[in-house]
Amino acid sequence: MSGPAWTVTPAERYELSAEHALAYVPPDGAFALYNDYAQRRSVLVPTPSPVRPEDVVATWRDQLVGPPPRRLAPQETVEGYGTFTFPYGPVSMGVPESGRFDVITYGERILELGPLGGYKSRHVLNALAGATIEDAALRIERLAGNVSASHVAAFLAAAESARGESVPRSELWVRALAQELQRVYNHVHVLARIAEAASQNVGSAQSHALAEEILRLQGRAFGHRWLFGALLPGGPARHLDPPDRKALDRELQRCAREFDALWELFLDSRTFIDRIQSTCPVDRASAVHWGGVGPTLRACGVRWDDRLRVPGPPYNDLFLALPEERDGDALARLLVRVQEVRASFLLIEQMLDRWPPGPGSPEPASSPVLPGRGLGRVEAPSGDLVYDVSVANGKLASVSARTPSQANWPLFALGMRNAVFTDFHFALESFGLLFAETDR
Amino acid sequence: MDGWGVLLTLSVALFFGSAVVAAARPKLGYATSAVASALLLAASVEALVGGPIQGAAWSGPLGDPESLALNGLSAFFALAASLVWVATAVYSVTYDERRSPWLAVCFSLTLGAIALLVASSSLLLFLIGWETMTIASYGMILQATGRRGRVFSAAFVFLVFGEASTLFVILAVAGLRVGTGTFAEVPYVAAGGLSTLVFVAALLGFALKMGVAPFHMSEWLPIAHSSAPSNASAVLSSTLTLAGAYGLFRVLSLLGAPPLWWGAVTLGIGAVSVLLGALFAAVSEHTKGLPAYSTIENNGLILVALGIALLARAEGLETLYVFALFAAFFQALAHAVAKTALFLAAGWAEHATGTFDLTSIAGGVKDGDRGALLGTLSATLSLSAAPPLAGFVAEWMVLESLFQSYQFVPAWVQFLGLVAGAAVALGAGLIVIAMVKFLGFGLLWNPSAARPARRSRGLSVPIAAVGAVVLGLGVGAPWVLRFLAPAVSSFAGVPAIAPVGSLLSVPNGWSILSGSPFGILSPPMVPITIGIGACVAAGYYLLGRRPGPSVRRSPVWMAGSPPGRPGEVYTSFGYGTGLRLMMATILGTREIRSSAGAVSEAGLATPVPYSVDLEVLDVFKLFYDDLVRGGEAVAAALKGWVMTGHLGRYLAYILIVVLAVVIYVAAAT
Repeated sequence: MSGPAWTVTPAERYELSAEHALAYVPPDGAFALYNDYAQRRSVLVPTPSPVRPEDVVATWRDQLVGPPPRRLAPQETVEGYGTFTFPYGPVSMGVPESGRFDVITYGERILELGPLGGYKSRHVLNALAGATIEDAALRIERLAGNVSASHVAAFLAAAESARGESVPRSELWVRALAQELQRVYNHVHVLARIAEAASQNVGSAQSHALAEEILRLQGRAFGHRWLFGALLPGGPARHLDPPDRKALDRELQRCAREFDALWELFLDSRTFIDRIQSTCPVDRASAVHWGGVGPTLRACGVRWDDRLRVPGPPYNDLFLALPEERDGDALARLLVRVQEVRASFLLIEQMLDRWPPGPGSPEPASSPVLPGRGLGRVEAPSGDLVYDVSVANGKLASVSARTPSQANWPLFALGMRNAVFTDFHFALESFGLLFAETDR
Repeated sequence: MDGWGVLLTLSVALFFGSAVVAAARPKLGYATSAVASALLLAASVEALVGGPIQGAAWSGPLGDPESLALNGLSAFFALAASLVWVATAVYSVTYDERRSPWLAVCFSLTLGAIALLVASSSLLLFLIGWETMTIASYGMILQATGRRGRVFSAAFVFLVFGEASTLFVILAVAGLRVGTGTFAEVPYVAAGGLSTLVFVAALLGFALKMGVAPFHMSEWLPIAHSSAPSNASAVLSSTLTLAGAYGLFRVLSLLGAPPLWWGAVTLGIGAVSVLLGALFAAVSEHTKGLPAYSTIENNGLILVALGIALLARAEGLETLYVFALFAAFFQALAHAVAKTALFLAAGWAEHATGTFDLTSIAGGVKDGDRGALLGTLSATLSLSAAPPLAGFVAEWMVLESLFQSYQFVPAWVQFLGLVAGAAVALGAGLIVIAMVKFLGFGLLWNPSAARPARRSRGLSVPIAAVGAVVLGLGVGAPWVLRFLAPAVSSFAGVPAIAPVGSLLSVPNGWSILSGSPFGILSPPMVPITIGIGACVAAGYYLLGRRPGPSVRRSPVWMAGSPPGRPGEVYTSFGYGTGLRLMMATILGTREIRSSAGAVSEAGLATPVPYSVDLEVLDVFKLFYDDLVRGGEAVAAALKGWVMTGHLGRYLAYILIVVLAVVIYVAAAT
């Protein structure tokens, strides 16, 4: 594919050049999506050389026989005396998922880090053509269980936009509640993982316990610990009655207090802070250049959050703090997450207080970008998540997504240059990266 | 002169005879050297067991009686050296395949010179042997392969350090001659300025030869930089430095009771050498530079033990004095033997792979001879002080001596012992990294890129034999110590009893005791205990064995990726880099990057292809480089008005010197 004549951020150019063309370039091959940070919007631009149908078939066939590992971030070859590639993963202790890292090193210090995906490809999105929205939602929420609510919400928004449907107001509130709960869970989980890597055993155990409590609350409120099936079209599995809301509110306030106390404990541990301070720094220019999203971006001083981009219900009715840090290191990313946990607790408190009494007025979905094709966009725990859905005759024609992990892998790889090997886990966990989100 | 005396004289003569033979038939020359070494070995064993040997005697040019003789001290050093030479000479018969006979000639000459200086009964003969040794070794280094300029400069560095050493040794001998009025070995016990001069000159001269810090350039540079032939390296590193240690012991044995600071200085130099030698060995990527650095560490250990002995003597601690001497002697023996195996193995690996670079070899000797591998394993384990090998016993004895520095009265000496103990312990830890690198990346480890070795018994048998000796010395350490007792008595001038005894049910004499109520170790019990455990395990395995294949071979697990792709194997360099980064202040580690490809947009962390090299500096080498530059500048400045090239002016210089001598002699008499 020849280089486009206009600005497409490198993360996306990178994705375009990867063989996983279906993920980003729709079958008609006419458009590609990119983030316009200056205008705070996402834009579809025509691609100069559309993917030909035979290319798509070839891609499909390759994927069915098992694609070769593919690079998730740019990586350069390094020469030098004693320099070698240390293969880390896909089945190694310390690599949490099936994914591999090519560590180019002369020992101890990481010169280049190349995350390789493809080991976990399940072809979930590619296999959705022809499925109904309900079937598709069931599969999409299983793509990455930790962030199921965000994926389903983004997918549903895109599908509704493609079909020009309106959505009951209460539906949007339920989706938002589920996403905020899951955001709290994910951020606490990241904290627990970093504490684990730093051998902060007490802090790690307490964080895991707190994360487990959030999971149980999700189960009580939505009927499933991982919120599977909770946001299916046609309404949530369970409606929140006033007593339920009151109980949930009480429990969450207790969790919020627990979290604050826990974070105070972490702040007291100088060794913990030392371990993540100035670890894997990402500078602001690189973050913007490579199209970073979420806490990674906000930790470098870029105030960008999809919930505030075009605020729709319920965020247009609620107070939402937008945290920002400037150092761009693992500590800054963690600080952003901690503040986001507090912001989410506050959001949930407001939501449960002002819960709409009935289905409410139907909210029109955002207008489709093309006839039969819509974009859905939410702020997932690790950042901006976009779904691109085409429908034909009431069935799905194609589904593709740009996940936050996809956007942040290059920044992780660049931040790790010149780090020592022991920084690896702190850095990886601080980005909240998931191979499951890139191997779809 | 009895039969043994004839044998001793014959062996020394045979070394020089083999140099003549080698000029015509190099391989026959090596064989003759091996025979001479064996004769010297027999003579030195007899001297230790049956008492001093008197060889040929004649009247020297200055009227002093000259003779070849072995007393306890010289017999010990002759024993250690001849053990090494037998193996090295046999190895050389196969190893040296060059057309030019010069390597063989210089090899035999070096051996003969060392034998001469060890067996000399007068200091004049010692000096002659010493200088012959330096010149002949210089000849061996010149036979190195590689760029000529590099070889010449390395050999020149060796010669400069060697001659500087000779100057100091001459000064020390001259001091003794002035003090005693003869070159014969007469003790000079008077304390005072002359004693101090002799000690300082001897310490400097012999430390230069031992290559300890800060003179370690003299040891590693000619060996590593010039890729000197492996048999030459073994002789240089194992026995040339041993000759330095011998000289120091010999001069000290002639001096009276040492003041406290002699021991302190020796201990300090030794401790610094241990630390630096081990550190540089661990970051070395040269199969011969690494053992050469390790030699610095081991010579440092000898000096540490000697330092403790001198301190103990100054403080009047008889038991510790004798024990530390035993430690120094055992350390010298253990190191000389084990280090030989390493250099011979380096030559063996070079034969197979054509390189001395550990990172390039990367475990490339595949299907190598099992005996040679086991021999090298024994030697490397010994040098990393693994029980029950010789190096372990030696290291234990040195550390036990250091532990007893609490007995010294002045607090600063106690503190020095403490610091030196920490340095020695750290060095012992660091050297393990070096030995793992040498063994693992040099010989054992087998990635897919391994090349099959040319099997050659002539190379592998000596290595295996040396490895067996290392094991034997370790397991039989209590008996070896008893055997060494005459050497210690001869040096100390007091009857020395080997520090052996019993503990619990261990038979009497099977254990080494450090001081009457201090540490205890029984080297023979280690293999016995391991053997019992192995028998139990083997019995369990044999009794419980089920029919059918019990061995399953599978490719190495590479975390789910295809195994052993080129470029995906851990390098020897990578193994040492942790140390390079941690010790960056001492090693002066710096990274040099060069971008090969396009430059990224300004200010963005966009990757571009680059090459990277991590360099390690030796601050002492920088110092010497500066010294050389300074010397050259001074010489260039002086050239204009001192060395003008006018014959008349040179004659005037000679006249001035002669007049000055005449006036000095006239004033003195």
